[in-house]
Amino acid sequence: MAVKPKTMRDAKATYNTNSELAWWVFMRVSGLALIFLVFGHVWFNNIAINVADVDYNYVAGRFSKGWVKVYDSFLLGFAMLHGMNGLRYSIEDYFKNPARRAWAKVLLYTVFGIIFVLGVMTMWAFSFEEMGDAVRSLSHE
Amino acid sequence: MYRGREGQWAFVLHRLSGVALALYLLLHVIDISLVMYGPDGPFNAFLAFYHQWPFRIGLILVIAGVVYHAFNGLRIILMDFTSWGVKYQRSMWYGVLGMTVIIGIPVLIKLIPEIVRGG
Repeated sequence: MAVKPKTMRDAKATYNTNSELAWWVFMRVSGLALIFLVFGHVWFNNIAINVADVDYNYVAGRFSKGWVKVYDSFLLGFAMLHGMNGLRYSIEDYFKNPARRAWAKVLLYTVFGIIFVLGVMTMWAFSFEEMGDAVRSLSHE
Repeated sequence: MYRGREGQWAFVLHRLSGVALALYLLLHVIDISLVMYGPDGPFNAFLAFYHQWPFRIGLILVIAGVVYHAFNGLRIILMDFTSWGVKYQRSMWYGVLGMTVIIGIPVLIKLIPEIVRGG
């Protein structure tokens, strides 16, 4: 897969499995969505504020808001899949040895799987709102 | 369009920025996940470490990678789904570089003074 197909018709002709064609389409659809999601993310956290002010309170405050959790979940899901598949293309291009290529992909899916779960837990497994209230009530005692 | 001309540079930069952004994404999810340890956990110390100037310069490179990858991705989509995209891919690549610079300048004007002030 050294030279990638450049049109929808080429892609259909090149990829002999439906999943490769689906990934090809996914990279373009998710890429388009990520342009807006990532530009918004960079705007909110690097341009609208000084990123050096980011601390526990800032992040916990963000994750107390429902819309941030939904926004960041889409961002996480699209970015992780888009990034993982992009790295998979790189592995297919540069790992010539079939055994090494297979192991590289196993490692890739494992690492992305674990870190994706970590990201989902960070947003959804805790209530930062309640955690904030608990901390505030402790400091008032 | 390959063989050392603009198309190949576009590909090399897209691959390079993409791999770098994917690795940054993994690191970024791990560091933000440290909020799960709560306000007395390692999160604030970790972030303070990342707010030192070498990492903030690194973050500027991450943003530059994002902008290039985004606009070049748009160029790829236009090449794939329009009848004229491949014909104009070379001029579009200069457009991608132009957009990266046009967005990069105000970003630098915002971020460099913050880094120089040390906060």
